[in-house]
Amino acid sequence: MATLSINNVRKQYGSVEVLKGIDLSLTDGEFLVLLGPSGCGKSTLLNMIAGLETISAGEIRIDQRVINGVHPKDRDIAMVFQSYALYPNMTVARNIGFSLEMRGQSKTERDGAIQRVAKLLQIEHLLDRKPAQLSGGQRQRVAMGRALVRDPKVFLFDEPLSNLDAKLRVDMRTEIKKLHQRLGTTVVYVTHDQIEAMTLASRIAIMKEGVVQQFAPPQEVYERPANMYVASFIGSPTMNFIRGTLAAEGDRLGVSVWQDRTASDGGPCRFLPLHEAPAQADRWLGQEVILGVRPEAITCYDPTMAAGNPALVKVGCPVSVLEPTGADTITYIQLSGQEVVARIKPSDTPVEGEVADFMIDMGRANLFDPKTEQRL
Amino acid sequence: MSSLTSALPPAEGMGPRVARWGLYLILLLFAAYYLLPLVVMLSTSFKSLDEIRTGSLLSLPRDISTDAWIYAWTRACIGADCRGMAPYFMNSLVIVIPAVIISTLFGALNGYALTKWRFRGANVVFAMILFGSFLPSQVMLLPMAQTLGFLGLAGSAGGLILVHVVYGLAFTTLFFRNYYVSIPDDLVKAATIDGAGFFQIFTKIMVPLSLPIMVVTIIWQFTQIWNDFLFGASFAAGGAQPVTVALNNLVNTTTGVKQYNVDMAAAMIAGLPTLVVYALAGKYFIRGLTAGSVKG
Amino acid sequence: MTLQTPSYKAAAISAQNNQTQTEAPPARSNFGELVQRHLSKLVVAPSFAAILVFVYGFILWTVYISFTNSRMLPSYELVGMDAYTKLWKIERWYVAIENLLIFGGLFIGVSLAIGIVLAVMLDQRIRGEGVLRTIYLYPMALSFIVTGTAWKWILNPSIGIQEFVRDLGFPTFTFDWIVQQDTAIYTLVIAAVWQSSGFVMALFLAALRGVDQEIIKAAYLDGASLPRIYWGIVLPSVRPVFMSAFVILAHLAVKSYDLVVALTGGGPGYASDLPATFMYEMTFRRNQISIGSASAMMMLATVVAIIVPYLYSELKGGKRV
Repeated sequence: MATLSINNVRKQYGSVEVLKGIDLSLTDGEFLVLLGPSGCGKSTLLNMIAGLETISAGEIRIDQRVINGVHPKDRDIAMVFQSYALYPNMTVARNIGFSLEMRGQSKTERDGAIQRVAKLLQIEHLLDRKPAQLSGGQRQRVAMGRALVRDPKVFLFDEPLSNLDAKLRVDMRTEIKKLHQRLGTTVVYVTHDQIEAMTLASRIAIMKEGVVQQFAPPQEVYERPANMYVASFIGSPTMNFIRGTLAAEGDRLGVSVWQDRTASDGGPCRFLPLHEAPAQADRWLGQEVILGVRPEAITCYDPTMAAGNPALVKVGCPVSVLEPTGADTITYIQLSGQEVVARIKPSDTPVEGEVADFMIDMGRANLFDPKTEQRL
Repeated sequence: MSSLTSALPPAEGMGPRVARWGLYLILLLFAAYYLLPLVVMLSTSFKSLDEIRTGSLLSLPRDISTDAWIYAWTRACIGADCRGMAPYFMNSLVIVIPAVIISTLFGALNGYALTKWRFRGANVVFAMILFGSFLPSQVMLLPMAQTLGFLGLAGSAGGLILVHVVYGLAFTTLFFRNYYVSIPDDLVKAATIDGAGFFQIFTKIMVPLSLPIMVVTIIWQFTQIWNDFLFGASFAAGGAQPVTVALNNLVNTTTGVKQYNVDMAAAMIAGLPTLVVYALAGKYFIRGLTAGSVKG
Repeated sequence: MTLQTPSYKAAAISAQNNQTQTEAPPARSNFGELVQRHLSKLVVAPSFAAILVFVYGFILWTVYISFTNSRMLPSYELVGMDAYTKLWKIERWYVAIENLLIFGGLFIGVSLAIGIVLAVMLDQRIRGEGVLRTIYLYPMALSFIVTGTAWKWILNPSIGIQEFVRDLGFPTFTFDWIVQQDTAIYTLVIAAVWQSSGFVMALFLAALRGVDQEIIKAAYLDGASLPRIYWGIVLPSVRPVFMSAFVILAHLAVKSYDLVVALTGGGPGYASDLPATFMYEMTFRRNQISIGSASAMMMLATVVAIIVPYLYSELKGGKRV
């Protein structure tokens, strides 16, 4: 358990700057997920924490101790690799105990530690096998065992579930979460899978091209994304981005959704009143904005619910396509000519090609600046 | 290995049948072409001189006599030295074994350093090492002779060991480098985090995984060095010469009656070690041959 | 349910406490640190240095000597292109060059032809393929000296093939190439092809087996016959191997020394001399070091002229050697 702080860290390869000033700090026992597409710099940052890459500028501290330039074996970290990187020529037991072997511990000490870790991960029966004889999930556990035995201050995970099939991935994900609850060690976890990020993290750092876009707990990232990039990265199906203008009707502030761009001053449009005013509402009045609403915020119109919740706004829209997924039906509707995705309960499913009534929960809406894509 | 034509159904009918017989015939004729010298060498070496004179090239020996072999091994005259091929065979062993071991060891270390601990200019270094192996040794013969003389190694086994190690580095490095490239870098990273240093990773992780390529390299180096003639003739003198030079001297000495059976026995003696290695581990030899040549 | 502090953890913690610092340790500039950081380079250095000296350094020396007037011992006085002009006046050198062209051309051509043909034939689901492959390839395991000795015997007119065929009842059959000035060079081709065509076969066989099966199936469905498939689709796709084989064979041809010494001794006279034997003769026997060096440089130039364009085109296409 330890605190980890990353202060204004930069990384350059020649003239290319791959990490452009990263600031993150973790408290004891936190689970940080670095989330982003390939090439965003998340693995580079992880390698820098591990000591496998040098730090071009800035500082990384573990428990207040600056670890720039310290050899990986002295940093008190342990790493689980995407490919597990188990030593093929050694038994599972020797794989796990290798770091202790390098530290010069005696055989009895090592055996004791290996046994304890094997018991924790339920791999005692595999100790004499070689990695080639193990399944994917078993190799994962051995890789974790190798990290655990070092009793590190920070655990580093580099996309450890990417090589597993879907079902195994879900099982192992839960195991990692339970392990973290038990041990309480600080974790930095790299992934491109937003579901892993949402389920495992105490805080998520979404990265794009070497810059942290947002660093916040999962629910906040989900409900209040800092920009359109974050909004579209998290959540499936992705958030709807509806073009409109910030307008006032009477004393209510809302978004006017046009039929098409030229009809901003006339022609059919919808007015969707906002539940709460955005920051600097005056500045944005009359300006083009993007309204971000998640599909699950658009449901079938229910008069009793609508009456009880002022944030729910009723709209009538034609339905173009239905995609039943079992749990919900993904419904594509036309709102003033723009295609919008809604999640409808199967029991309320409308008919394709007809107009039906929906309600949008404007309390869960976000507004974005169309040019900077930042949240207002 | 699946054959090309396993993609297609086998042909039916008489035409293809005939073609198939023709195919086998041609293949067997070629086999005869390749086997001819070996058969001739072997059978001649077991004949007596009379039989050679009166018999024909391809006839098998009537009575198998090992006289020629014994003579070649113990009493044949190579130049003025009439101790047979035995001492020269030993010379070859003394040269080959250390040279193979040293060049393989350095090749492995080089391949490891160049692939897992890349430094700036590593590709240039590798390219220069490799390119050197393409250049004809004729341009290095004279200066090497001068240098060996300067170092006091002229004409000795030590000198030849040095020569073979240096000129073998290019291929051993190539083999190991291409092999280590396909060992995941993550293994080295994990071991680094676990606290292992440069040499510890080499001995505890890379070497145990290197058995296949080591066999290929050792067989390749053994064959190349044992079969060498140019360096042996240029840098070894008299009694320190390897078996290939001895063979050539023996065969080309024209004193007295030409003893063809002894010549052939001597040739077999010189060629047997590499033939045996080939017979036992031929597929590794082939892997070595095609290692650097075939893409992908 | 929490873990009890295991003994190893306690040991680690106490070790940790002894080293706890709040700042990075000062950069230790002692020798050990320096070595550690550059260890990789240090490991490769001896080999690299050896190659620099024993290959590139020696070549430079030979270049230098080729511009001097050295005879029996190296002299370091530069005399310009003297040795080269003298070289190109020697008839024996012209013979060697002409022989190289004949030998090289035939050797490469015939080896490639036989190699490809054998590879294609072996690819036809032959029973006993493994045995045949072993037979075709074993010559590569032999020294050129052994090969030369064996073929010298076989091609010897009085006890070899000529005598054998005559004994069979063809008293006028002649096959005395090896002792005739005009034809000695062709005997070298026979022996060299015997030694190396198996290698070409191995290369092509491996390449044939790497061809995408789906393309073949598609061609078959389109109605192409087997020969057509080979000629039009398979062989073109193994063109890279073709180039590799060509370069390796050319390289072998230029370097040929052992075989000549064992098979013909360069003879009769110097009718089957090649640049490699010429160079050796000049340098080590005739005490004409400058001329020998000049001939070695010509050999180098030839090899480089073949290898460099090939390597260049290979590296442009991909980064792996």
